[in-house]
Amino acid sequence: MSRRRETALVLTGPRVGRPLAALRRHSLALLLLAALLFPLVADPYALDVGITVLTFAMLGIGLNIVVGYAGLLDLGYAAFFAIGAYTSALLSLHLHVGFWEGLPLCILAAAVSGAIIGYPTLRLRSDYLAIVTLGFGEIVRITATNLTGLTGGPNGLYGLPVPKIGHFELTSQRSLYLLGFAFLLVSLGFSWALFHSRLGRAWNSVREDETAAEAAGIPTVRVKLLAYVLGAVVAGLAGPFFAARFGAIDPTSFTFLQSVTILTVVVVGGMGSLPGMLVGAVVVQGLPELLRAVARWRLLAFAFALVLLMQFRPQGLWPVPHVRRDPFAGLPEEPDAQATPAAAPQGEVLLHVHGLVKRFGGVAAVDQASFEVRRGEILSIIGPNGAGKTTVFNCVTGLIRSNRGEVRLAGRSLRRLRPHQVVSLGMARTFQGIRLFKGMSVYENVMVGAYPTQLGGLWRGITHLHLRRETDLRNRLHARRWLRFVGLEDKAARLASELAYGEQRRLEIARALASEPQLLLLDEPGAGTNPSEKNDLMELIRRARGEGVTVLLIEHDMRLVMGISDRVVVMDQGRILTEGTPAEVQRDERVIEAYLGREDESGWEIEEEVATRPS
Amino acid sequence: MWRARRLIGSCALLMAIALAVAACGGGGGGGTSGGGSIKIGVPGPLSGDYASAGTDIVNGAKLAAQDVNAKGGALGKKIEIVTADDACDAQTAAQAAQKLLSSGVVAVAGGYCSAASLPELTAFHRRGLPFVMDASTNPKLTEMGFKEAFRDIGRDDEQGPFAAKFVAGFLKAKKVAVINDNTTYSKGLAVSTVDALKKAGVNVVFDQAITPGQQDYTPTLTKVISSNPDVVYYTGYFTEAGLLVKQARQLGYRNTFMGGDATNDPTLLKTGGPAANDMVITTAPLAQFLSGTESFVSAYEKQFGHGPGPYSVYEYDAVQVVAKAIQAAGSTDSAKLIDSLRGTRHSGLTGDISFDAKGDRAGVTYITITVRNEKFEAYKKLDDSGKWVDATAA
Amino acid sequence: MIAASPFVSYLINGLTIGSFLALVALGYTMVYGIIRLINFAHGDLFMVGAFLGWTVLNVVASRLPIALSVLMALLVAMALTGALGTVISRMVYQPLLRAPRLSILIAALAVSLGLQNGVLLLYGPVPKTYPHVLPASGLSLAGVRVSYPQLGMFLLSLLLMGALYLFVHRTAVGTAMRALAMDQDAARLMGINVERHIMLAFFLGSLLAAAAGVMEGLYYTQISFFMGFLIGLRAFTAAVLGGIGNIPGAMVAGFLIGLLQSFSAGYLSAQWTDVFVFVVLILVLVVKPTGLFGERVVERM
Repeated sequence: MSRRRETALVLTGPRVGRPLAALRRHSLALLLLAALLFPLVADPYALDVGITVLTFAMLGIGLNIVVGYAGLLDLGYAAFFAIGAYTSALLSLHLHVGFWEGLPLCILAAAVSGAIIGYPTLRLRSDYLAIVTLGFGEIVRITATNLTGLTGGPNGLYGLPVPKIGHFELTSQRSLYLLGFAFLLVSLGFSWALFHSRLGRAWNSVREDETAAEAAGIPTVRVKLLAYVLGAVVAGLAGPFFAARFGAIDPTSFTFLQSVTILTVVVVGGMGSLPGMLVGAVVVQGLPELLRAVARWRLLAFAFALVLLMQFRPQGLWPVPHVRRDPFAGLPEEPDAQATPAAAPQGEVLLHVHGLVKRFGGVAAVDQASFEVRRGEILSIIGPNGAGKTTVFNCVTGLIRSNRGEVRLAGRSLRRLRPHQVVSLGMARTFQGIRLFKGMSVYENVMVGAYPTQLGGLWRGITHLHLRRETDLRNRLHARRWLRFVGLEDKAARLASELAYGEQRRLEIARALASEPQLLLLDEPGAGTNPSEKNDLMELIRRARGEGVTVLLIEHDMRLVMGISDRVVVMDQGRILTEGTPAEVQRDERVIEAYLGREDESGWEIEEEVATRPS
Repeated sequence: MWRARRLIGSCALLMAIALAVAACGGGGGGGTSGGGSIKIGVPGPLSGDYASAGTDIVNGAKLAAQDVNAKGGALGKKIEIVTADDACDAQTAAQAAQKLLSSGVVAVAGGYCSAASLPELTAFHRRGLPFVMDASTNPKLTEMGFKEAFRDIGRDDEQGPFAAKFVAGFLKAKKVAVINDNTTYSKGLAVSTVDALKKAGVNVVFDQAITPGQQDYTPTLTKVISSNPDVVYYTGYFTEAGLLVKQARQLGYRNTFMGGDATNDPTLLKTGGPAANDMVITTAPLAQFLSGTESFVSAYEKQFGHGPGPYSVYEYDAVQVVAKAIQAAGSTDSAKLIDSLRGTRHSGLTGDISFDAKGDRAGVTYITITVRNEKFEAYKKLDDSGKWVDATAA
Repeated sequence: MIAASPFVSYLINGLTIGSFLALVALGYTMVYGIIRLINFAHGDLFMVGAFLGWTVLNVVASRLPIALSVLMALLVAMALTGALGTVISRMVYQPLLRAPRLSILIAALAVSLGLQNGVLLLYGPVPKTYPHVLPASGLSLAGVRVSYPQLGMFLLSLLLMGALYLFVHRTAVGTAMRALAMDQDAARLMGINVERHIMLAFFLGSLLAAAAGVMEGLYYTQISFFMGFLIGLRAFTAAVLGGIGNIPGAMVAGFLIGLLQSFSAGYLSAQWTDVFVFVVLILVLVVKPTGLFGERVVERM
């Protein structure tokens, strides 16, 4: 089933009425308050359970970054937990490093292992990814069990010193609980900051549609790797806490079943939802304790409860609500800063394609294609179905690798570049079948497109926290500008899936334009649109050119092509047949033959369109 | 439509229940017990891989309580057994311990996996409650200086040297293979055995672990057997032992196959079948080889429908010891109980029980048993002069 | 007897272990192929089959000749477990097919937990022993002794796998299932009753798992309620290694993992077996991201 649909289900929680909306917004705060006051009413047993709940809430928050935000199915998260715990234990036992002093090292160790474990999974599809992460989880556990000299083997490490704050030893249940609570707050803050950053948006887009994200300019490989690393960081915090709590650790706490339990916390709570992580931990760890009342039936009852829960609330107990706040509310109007783009020499070659060849098996989809796109022009590629037009786009943008040929953008070779790198060099595209991030809002879609223009970077995000508001303002202005450009400003808060077909097309164009490209590639933008929408589209493309964007498009609709193109390139069976002005091309014998030689409706239109074209 | 209220409501309800029950779960906590009964806690694995051992231990506790109550109980009150599942897992064990504490137990007798007993002991230690362990053999449990720790079973670092003595002194083996299953207990016993064997000058040709649950161990056994050992000693649990001995025999291994005390269980005989014959097991004396246990065995069979496992008799004694200590102390106060326990002189089913300064059982003996005609039989033991004699029931 | 060079022994051992793994892997791969679910409960169906077989044998072994009782145990276990698998798929998984993908995964985990504890409660915690009905005799192959049961297991598993392969590739129903695996909506439009074929996939997978379970019980004679976990994990690894969704791939990979287990235990150490298997898997996937026989999914952009 489509991932977009799933995400929509997850993200679209109950639409709440006014009074409950307020409750919703502050749900996390309320839960945290309850958790903070808990030690006042709880006996040691309940506190003990509470500490476990806190630990698993933390772990859930960490795994949520990998699974909930980035959509990577990690079945071996316990590995990071183990590395955090063992690093802390080893540092304090053998090197006499204190709990607090050792913490940064534990986090670092976990982060490094996140990179190591994440790296091989980058090319894998989700379920293969699952088994690899599972494998790593087991490898870590078994290594810990076998390397007795280092890790204590099956016995594990024990006699760990108690963490201290100043002179105060944290031995009581209550103090451990509060320590865990503090760590939980840190994890929550960390996760929240990530979610609201450029990286968080990038994760959302990768989760929705990785290919589209890459083509929109998101460095998907780096982003996915960061998901592992940052998810692991949280485990690097939870691990030492776990070790300190028991004063001993052994490999049996880091089994595959443990990873699965953490995953259950995330799913039961609601993927992507921070309050959900607390709720999930309470249910997954608290419920079996509650069920001790039924003794031998405890786990069977728990299994049953879990099945029921998934049946009746598959999106989790506290899923992320879809907030329909207008992102442009209160946004000041920019002074007319529509700076005309620097007078770039018109007419110089912007895109140079020479000798492009792409074979699929024995079939040459593109065979020695050569053409140029000049700055400031609107160039159309036409040709019967199967001529290789989209393949040219895919090769040029780096989505697929061509066998041979030269591609240069403003002199820069694009050979061997990944799609997102091509985008950051100034070439953006849309897809034949619209590839929007359906579960994200219109505003968020455009924001994804704007990724290459946004100042970001993790380090910068942390060190320049004070600039957050400024950055946020700038981003929103930027998004509004392009949404306004395509006429979707008032629909900014809507989900992309709610738009009409024509609007979705325009949104995709807005997303591409948001990356401020020099060259915009449109793949059949007129497909499925009615005549009035087509006119709007032609107007839009002209206006884009007015903004300084060169346009290369693939189209079947001759009226559209002839109406806006400066030049036309004709392809047939992978080869360039001819090129020239629209008038020249439609008179060309070979072109007419190529079209009429097939049962192609559009071939008939050529003569008609010419006759009816407004001059 | 979207059941917003129900969402909030159900979540709140769930949390409220969890909090309420958890908070009200125990009220005062351990130390004193009100009402008309004295509660003794019995933690153990009641779920998971070792559930059969845990259930067995609980059964032993129940029998002991029944017998004590039949004689009038302790301090005029009935003994009540409170169980808690620790699933042989550290985290669950910590919570199980807390659960017992909040249900008002005055002392604890039980436990199985050393990995679970450790956090349990820590929890009881923090409250000052005595914990008499019936089956956890890992040495570190009594090496941490907790005065609350007692055990009426031997330690791995005692069984190891005993096994080595048998192998070197009685079987006169030159090459020995030791297999463990990479769990705390099994590895501990293996290490202690290998050390003792090496000191005795025996060549240890194999010292590695198998993965329990695999069922098929023929590759490892092939490797072991190809180095032609005189003795193969498996220090893991009975579930694997039966499979191992059977597969070893199928591969043509004709020499001695031995097991540690966790291998002695009727399941071994059923799985191994004729292949189990002539297997030798080092163990603390089994119920059926102790004099005076016939009534225990038959009572167990009558009540639970099958014979007792290896640790129920130790649990029986542990509970009896605790009850006796309560009676002798004249109160259920923890400190007094610990003192009383320390001075224990009890003649139990497993022999005379007293505790040394660390809480270990003084004068633990091991014997070897063997399998004949698919039944366990006493085999050899060390007499006081260090000679190997028959260990028939005295 | 172990040959002077144990290589052949390890080979035979590996193929024996692989027979069981391959049978269980098939169930994983079939279910995944059809509904993209990693059915964590599959290993436990293997276990349930073993227990059902034991129950039947206990009842009939004394009254009927051995061969007949074994056959009965096999057939009854297969039928009942197949039914159980179908019921689970209908009641638990099918309602979740349109839900977020992880929800159905967690539901599968819950089913696994439920099956384990259900059997624990019904049969008690003590492991059960199958009657020792298989002969110990065998023949000599390249200097190594291969027992008849060993040979029998190997051949039986090949037979079952072959039957499945023929069913999936040569019958109309099987073809419908394959169509469904490729494109559920298109299959529905062609008039294929999607729900029924999904249940069929579960039925067949559970059938094979139960057969493997009874065979395991007969061959190793000891069964316990947690025996499904490790074999489930390894069989799942095999299914992925072979290219998940690919039936011949699962078969080959099952034997491959059995051999890897055997050789790594023999030449390295049994405690590192799983590490070794996973490292091999990861290396294969790095080179071939869709498994050994997995098809490359060509996306139409």
